[in-house]
Amino acid sequence: MTIRVDPEGNETAALFDLVDVQGREVLEIGCGDGRLTWRYADRAAHVTAIEPFEGSIARARERLRETNLSVELRHVSFEEFASGTNADSFDVTLLSWSLC
Amino acid sequence: MVHALEEIHRLLQPTGTLIEIHPAVEPPPFVEVRSGGTVSLSEKDPAFDYADDSVHAEAAVATVAERGMFAADEPRPFELRTHAASVAEMKGYWSVYGAYDPEEREESLVRRKDEMYERAAEAMERFPGSEIVFVEPAMMTRLIRRD
Repeated sequence: MTIRVDPEGNETAALFDLVDVQGREVLEIGCGDGRLTWRYADRAAHVTAIEPFEGSIARARERLRETNLSVELRHVSFEEFASGTNADSFDVTLLSWSLC
Repeated sequence: MVHALEEIHRLLQPTGTLIEIHPAVEPPPFVEVRSGGTVSLSEKDPAFDYADDSVHAEAAVATVAERGMFAADEPRPFELRTHAASVAEMKGYWSVYGAYDPEEREESLVRRKDEMYERAAEAMERFPGSEIVFVEPAMMTRLIRRD
């Protein structure tokens, strides 16, 4: 057995109840290793996923290579990302376990 | 935190959606040892000391809602559950995925958590076929951008 995170799909079920990401431009802040990203990215038009911790984003990049998902992973703090990003760029933003 | 939400407001399209996810203030995260429907151990995570952070996160969401920047729904509770077949597997997972968690580096918290894992291992020995589950109660809130 390997580690199984949320095999019940509790987090994904809550997410899909609250927002429709189909065809949307999504920003995920604090994507970590992409644990949540992989569960919705196939529905979105494009995902920009940012993460300040290098080890986490490295694991996400490794996993992304195994997919053909439209996901751009960036190793950057939110402050830095926001300062270089135009207003009104995203339909949906996920602030994933990152506000505290 | 409020500044981050202000920046997210700027980055979102008008009427765009923000989904905010954070650990619940109550109940705290806990560890279970279970076999099927039988729970042989259930203990609060002794390293949990970030309830104040969650309170501040909720206050920041309330602030931007009060300012009229977002329309916020009632938070939706859910449990994020991480399953492992052994204590060693669970500890190995958190040594990688919780490595940036400063609480994990404090010696007293690490010791208390190790003691909890020892009790979990004993429970798993008593009930062969058990699994260990780390349960993180969390809240998910939908906020719709308003100008």
